[in-house]
Amino acid sequence: MQTPQIKPRERDTIIQALKAGVVPKLGLRHIQVGRAQEIEQLVQDIDRIGDGGSSIRFVIGEYGSGKTFFLNLVRIIAIEKGMVVLSADLAPDRRIHATAGQARTLYAELTRNASTRSKPNGGAMASIVERFVTQAIRSAEGNGNSPQYVIREKLEHLEELAGGYDFATVVGRYWEGYDTGDDNLKSASIRWLRGEFSTRTDARKALGVRTIVDDASVYDKLKLLALFIRESGYKGLVISLDELVNLYKLSSVKARNSNYEQILRILNDVLQGHANNIGFILGGTPEFLMDTRRGLYSYEALQTRLAENTFAIDGIVDNSGPVIRLANLTPEDLFVLLTKIRGVMSNNKTKIPDEALTEFMKHCSKRIGEAYFRTPRNTVKAFVDLLSILDQNPSLEWHSLLGTVNIDKDGGEDLSDISDDETNDELTSFKL
Amino acid sequence: MTKPMTNSPHSNSSQSVVFDSLADPVKRWIWRKNWKRLHDIQEKAIPIVLDGESDIIIAAPTAGGKTEAAFLPLISEVLDSPGKGGFDLVYVSPLRALINDQFDRLDDLCKNVEIPVHPWHGDISRSVKERANKTPRGILLITPESLEAIFVLRGLDIPRLFESARAIVVDELHAFFNNERGIQLRSLLTRLELAIGHRVRRIGLSATLGEMELAKQYLRPDDNESVVLLKEESDGAELKVQLRGYLDTICNMDDQKQTSKKEVASHVYSVLRGKRNLVFAGSRQNVEWYADALRGISSRSRVPLEFYPHHANLSREHRNDLEKTLKTQTAATAICTSTLELGIDIGDISCVAQIGPPYTVSSLRQRLGRSGRREGQAAVLRMYNIEAEVSNDSHPIDRIHLDLIRSIAMIQLLIEGWCEPPSKQSLHLSTLTHQILSIIAERGGTNASLLYSTLCKSGPFRNISSQLFIELLRHMGKPDISLIEQLSDGTLLLGSKGERLVNHYSFYAVFNTPDEYRIVNNGKSLGSIPITHILVPDMTIVFSGRRWRIIEVHDKEKVIQVVSDRTGKPPRFSGNAGVIHDDVIRKMKEVYIGSEIPTYLDNEAKLLLTEARDEYERLGLGRSPLFSMGKRRCIIATGVGTVKNSTLALALKSNGYKVESYDGFLEVCHEESIENLLPTFNRLTTYTSISTSDVLSEKSNLITEKYHCYLSDKLLVKDVESSRLELEALPSLAETILKQIQKGNSPVELVHSS
Repeated sequence: MQTPQIKPRERDTIIQALKAGVVPKLGLRHIQVGRAQEIEQLVQDIDRIGDGGSSIRFVIGEYGSGKTFFLNLVRIIAIEKGMVVLSADLAPDRRIHATAGQARTLYAELTRNASTRSKPNGGAMASIVERFVTQAIRSAEGNGNSPQYVIREKLEHLEELAGGYDFATVVGRYWEGYDTGDDNLKSASIRWLRGEFSTRTDARKALGVRTIVDDASVYDKLKLLALFIRESGYKGLVISLDELVNLYKLSSVKARNSNYEQILRILNDVLQGHANNIGFILGGTPEFLMDTRRGLYSYEALQTRLAENTFAIDGIVDNSGPVIRLANLTPEDLFVLLTKIRGVMSNNKTKIPDEALTEFMKHCSKRIGEAYFRTPRNTVKAFVDLLSILDQNPSLEWHSLLGTVNIDKDGGEDLSDISDDETNDELTSFKL
Repeated sequence: MTKPMTNSPHSNSSQSVVFDSLADPVKRWIWRKNWKRLHDIQEKAIPIVLDGESDIIIAAPTAGGKTEAAFLPLISEVLDSPGKGGFDLVYVSPLRALINDQFDRLDDLCKNVEIPVHPWHGDISRSVKERANKTPRGILLITPESLEAIFVLRGLDIPRLFESARAIVVDELHAFFNNERGIQLRSLLTRLELAIGHRVRRIGLSATLGEMELAKQYLRPDDNESVVLLKEESDGAELKVQLRGYLDTICNMDDQKQTSKKEVASHVYSVLRGKRNLVFAGSRQNVEWYADALRGISSRSRVPLEFYPHHANLSREHRNDLEKTLKTQTAATAICTSTLELGIDIGDISCVAQIGPPYTVSSLRQRLGRSGRREGQAAVLRMYNIEAEVSNDSHPIDRIHLDLIRSIAMIQLLIEGWCEPPSKQSLHLSTLTHQILSIIAERGGTNASLLYSTLCKSGPFRNISSQLFIELLRHMGKPDISLIEQLSDGTLLLGSKGERLVNHYSFYAVFNTPDEYRIVNNGKSLGSIPITHILVPDMTIVFSGRRWRIIEVHDKEKVIQVVSDRTGKPPRFSGNAGVIHDDVIRKMKEVYIGSEIPTYLDNEAKLLLTEARDEYERLGLGRSPLFSMGKRRCIIATGVGTVKNSTLALALKSNGYKVESYDGFLEVCHEESIENLLPTFNRLTTYTSISTSDVLSEKSNLITEKYHCYLSDKLLVKDVESSRLELEALPSLAETILKQIQKGNSPVELVHSS
């Protein structure tokens, strides 16, 4: 793979993100290695969605194994292919199913992060609706109808789905606002579509509709959104949810099961072909999937549907099922990755030799064993740190620094809102 | 029925500067209320509350205007600079009834100034709580249990709800010193401050106690020096006490008529009927007996029934019904066991009656705090003590009327403003277990080091070493316990049992009502009694007038197997349960050797007191702590409270003696002869390193708190060792007693044999 030219802005974003141990939003292709098969599979999925199909994928991997990276990569590919991508991380207050507004918060987060090719960094909801209207106007001009008539005709499809009538009304209101120059009306309908109304009374006052996006209707609204997006001229809708381990962590059995039930509903819809132009990618840890007490497998119906191909063992992979296990990066992959990072980082003054890369990898494997290539996050972070020190202190030699590089085992997201000044070693590495 | 307390003179500056410093709407409310002037304590408190950030304790008697002293300036502050959202003030109270009461008062003040007041406890309807949750503003009135529930159920909302809280007002601060609930509240306050990321000023409202340092220490453990203490010295409230004595004569000892108990019942009937009262009657058996007796009297007199039994063994529905009756009916009396006080949530009563001596001064104080809440109303305490008639062959323990003396000592300490201090070295592993589960539920998973730093470094569990903490976590994570489990990245989550516990509403309360032990002889149940001191096999107890030797203690099932023990005559009354503090025993000694006769005793009680003092003198217990009862048996006045007394009892037991404990006394018996007792004591003085296993056997009653049953035997022993035993004190205690024996004129044969 030849390295494309890197823009300075991309370069900065990548370095900053890698240093912080998070996945950059830009320029992923510069540091992408391995996992060609999995990506190939997802590209096929995206094409299927574009053709009116649907898909669901569970991306399963350890902490730091590159789930988020992978999801972001897929997001970028989908955007490039003319999709709208909604993405959000699940959190204790953002769930798929809830009763106290947490599901609506997830919906709001998703729509806030709506990205398209023209708006790859989120906030695309308004432009989607705008595009719907301009498309309608254009086609009205083409066949001599009034725009209003075209819009109504297009929206009629929506009304067939659950909750579609009010959805269509809200889009219609946007057109009204567009037509009469009423910006308040326009922004109110965008706010409705983004799930920002929290009471029915407010929605009724502003838009004259009796429903809002609430906890119970999140999935229905996403399906409507998919159809609407299609009508706006996009290829389809991809919804990418990360950190599903948060569902696993819910301590109420009831809450967990309701969320899994919702996932089952999505899974059924998608696999049976009820849903159109919509795709889901869900990222989670193996525990989230496999734990039979509190993971997805605890829900009998999901366990049978998600059971992996029993022939796919010992390196044989079957990527056609809904579950994609992120294969470990091989040491070779990691070497390529480090080379690429070196390529992104270096400004030609201080180029470290390939020999240094192998030494670095050796050092890592000595420190934390084979875990270093299963979970690249910390290795990459340490490497970026090392490079930036060398970059700023040209007098230093990489040999002398290598011994001081410190790498921790990856612990996943921590709850570090309490500063823990003197960490007690035994407690930090506590095992039951 | 006397015990006068002087009325406080109010401040006489009618238009004070202090008054002017309040916000206008608050002043208007005071005018409308027709207050002549502010109370002293209010004059003192308002400037300090208005001025700055310091933690404050406002100590004044019930109905002394403490609540207003805190809230008038706080509300003024809120009015002057309205908050950004979230509750402005939080008020924590141990009683739901108190919250309802406070709600009425504060709502009256706040409804004109548009500061909402939200009551929040188990009886408040969901919609009211939901409204408070949606628009958190103004004042939140809450119980520790409901606060716990917010942490567990809405952990993520904590910052939103409490971020802009200016102050947390803790009412009845003295009720929180010495128990599980107090530790829980302290832990919750710490967690609250950690969650919102800054310190919130704490204001404690307390009864006037002699030892106010305790309250400071409780309110802000890390910075107790800076807590401002405001105290109203002159006690404005009136306390009325009467102690009635009853003599159980020899002739009715064995009959079923129980004359003296009937006398007590008819007196209770005559003075309590027509009002709302609480009667504490000791054991469950007694509760049922008195309730039945009073039901009988009521029906014979053809009046509606107003007396209801209330104890832990009643079904929940029954108890709920009863509590509703007690709240709504204007005349109703609950007769309850002594251990149940936390479980009954009834405020505003006119009289507290106590049959038999109370267990602790602090519980007595808390019980009293429920009566006399209105201004001009006195708190009324009626105590009833039944003592055995002294005859020639009476047991020494019966002669000195221990129960009566303890009642007197406790009333004396109550008047002096004394209160049991929290035991410093207690580990509180039961409450710690609870808090670990609660934090995991609050955060949806957390890791061990954060738990440790939250609970044991910032929080109240400072005695827990990290090793012990790890041991506890490991045990909680065992498959058969399964309170917690762990993700591969170290995150701790609730296990299956833990989930079941946390998802049930009974989780929020950390205290439980201790159950009584069933005494079983040869498969036959003899009855049940509350037991709080530690029993191990081969100790003896006195129950229903006979002496029994313990065979086995089944801790989880609360059963004690006994066989009859025919050595020696038992006293007619067994020692009462309850953890008696050292100072109470010391006070009892003062009562014995003193000559003053308190005015609150009735004639019979006066006679009994004099008799007890005479007998005490006659037995020579004032001079020597040892009274010999023949070759094999003697009584030792240890002069120490239950914790040390039990420690000594267990140590003697492990040296081959049979021991029975009473308040400050031990009855020691040996199969052959007690002549080796002094050498044994000598040996105890040199015990430098005693381990718990030396004195405790596996089969003892160690489970007392709610989550004790989830601890391993080892942890349980550690917890018991920290809270109910005091092994370090053993050598010096033995030495003191030994010295006193040698100094006093103890029986000749014992001195020679040593």
